[in-house]
Amino acid sequence: MPLPPWSFALAPETGRVGNSQAALPTVTSLSEFDERSLVAEAQAGNRAAFEALVRRFDRDVLRLALNLMRRPEDARDVYQEAFLKVYRNLHRFRFECSFYTWLYRIVTNVCLDHLRRRQARPEDQAPELSAAQADDGVASFFERQREDRATLDPERRLIGKEIQQRLALAMQRLSPRERIVFEMKHYQGLKLRAIGDALGTTEETVKNSLFRATRKLRLQLGELR
Amino acid sequence: MSRREDRPAPGAMNCSQVSDLLPFFVCDELSAPELEAVAAHLASCATCAAQLEEERALFAIVSDAPQPADRLDPSGILLSQCRSELAEGLDQIAAPPAKTRVRPLAWLRRYMVLRPAWSAVFLVLLGIAVGSRISFLQTGEVDSGGSRVVRAAPPLTDEQLAKMAVAGIHYAPASGDEPGTVQLQLSAEQPYVLTGPLDDTGVRRVLTYVVENGQQFDAGTRLDCLDALRAATKEADVHRALLAAARKDGNPAVRLKALDALRESTEQPDVVEVYLDALEHDSNPGIRVEAVNVLVGSLERQGEASVMVLAPPPPRKPGTAQTPPSAPLAHITLVRVQRALENLTRNDPNRYVRLRSAAALRQIGPLENH
Repeated sequence: MPLPPWSFALAPETGRVGNSQAALPTVTSLSEFDERSLVAEAQAGNRAAFEALVRRFDRDVLRLALNLMRRPEDARDVYQEAFLKVYRNLHRFRFECSFYTWLYRIVTNVCLDHLRRRQARPEDQAPELSAAQADDGVASFFERQREDRATLDPERRLIGKEIQQRLALAMQRLSPRERIVFEMKHYQGLKLRAIGDALGTTEETVKNSLFRATRKLRLQLGELR
Repeated sequence: MSRREDRPAPGAMNCSQVSDLLPFFVCDELSAPELEAVAAHLASCATCAAQLEEERALFAIVSDAPQPADRLDPSGILLSQCRSELAEGLDQIAAPPAKTRVRPLAWLRRYMVLRPAWSAVFLVLLGIAVGSRISFLQTGEVDSGGSRVVRAAPPLTDEQLAKMAVAGIHYAPASGDEPGTVQLQLSAEQPYVLTGPLDDTGVRRVLTYVVENGQQFDAGTRLDCLDALRAATKEADVHRALLAAARKDGNPAVRLKALDALRESTEQPDVVEVYLDALEHDSNPGIRVEAVNVLVGSLERQGEASVMVLAPPPPRKPGTAQTPPSAPLAHITLVRVQRALENLTRNDPNRYVRLRSAAALRQIGPLENH
């Protein structure tokens, strides 16, 4: 049941109206309301409720955008575009899935659009690692990771940097969809079913994308062995 | 990924099948039967077990590797910027025109607040002006319907005419010495009824405006106005309005009525021009036939009397329509009508118009001798 507009600002601590025990109404934080109530309020035009929803999810959204776009200005564009789309289309949300899933469907679509646009403009692509860097191999990449994790010697920071570079290069060679699936699985920790819901596709399709992404990454990183 | 789709039922998997499932084994995305089958295979296959170690190493690399987000926004400044920009974006969306209150004369209020002395003088003068205006208006009557009856009211301005709507027209024809009276129910900024004789210029101005600006009024209103105006076709303004309606009105019934109102004025060159124009160019066959009838009838009358072409024209009164044509002009008219009729006889798409034109040519043939 939608909450009255004033309830966000002036609700007694008990949450009940007309309680004579409550000397003064106290401000109830929007974060205390459940997701469904917030969405319903936002749909009714309550801007504060919408902003509360944004704050509930926007950290993860920006993180996803940064990991995928790897450029702060692009991630900022994705953030802005995605949440404005959510705001404009909030009336279309019918509670048939979780708000989180619906939000991620919009966010991932915006990310995919940006990544595809970037692919179409080679000048916009982030500079790749040089061939020299790529060939600067170590005897066994995987072996070294096992050793490095076991030790805390000063070399580890350097190797960590190398891992980051190799991984960035490998991720760059994934298709936009593979990159999103891999990101949502490994960095957002989502189950394949949830990723499928967010991308508007089946779990099996997501599984295939993840498999291809993993194989590509293994090939890229395996070259170092 | 076809090789995954034709995967056999879990139970006895080979190395290739297990290899495909290892990435999902590592990230805990296998179903219970798959998990059981893979575990059984791994227990007895060193190669696949080694591959599993590599998968785990890859998974660990990915999991442990610092994410770009950690490097690109370590302090959360970017998140704050994004929130701020989003709030601005929402402000822009959430400021629809409906929210902006219409404040008429807001500039005047601001001006008056800043200049109280001048404002006081202005208000006194405004009060005097409004007071005198009200006393002037109080000379009028108010009818039972709340509409103001205006007699000899100042004529409507061009702007009022442009915004005017006509709700009804009642024309009482002349009886005896009494001239015909027109009652117009108008709405021009405010509803009122304009009543007056047809010789009242204010009344005629409204009627002729309606006829000349057909696009603003419905055809029924224009026909009603023409009904009233046909009693005053000798007036120059009415004459001009009828000519305009006959030429330009989009409705054939209105054009026909305007031409009909002018049929008694065919001795005037501009009326003949309008009829010739209708004869040659009007899209409606009924109007073309009417033009044939009127022009031929007019020419016959002229031929029979031979007066129109020979007699000197009567002196023209100021404010009245044009003088009758001279003899050479009448001859030119005859020639033009003949040519137009010949053209219609040959080319008009309507059979009746062709037949009527041929008959008309035979009717006016003898006139050439005059």
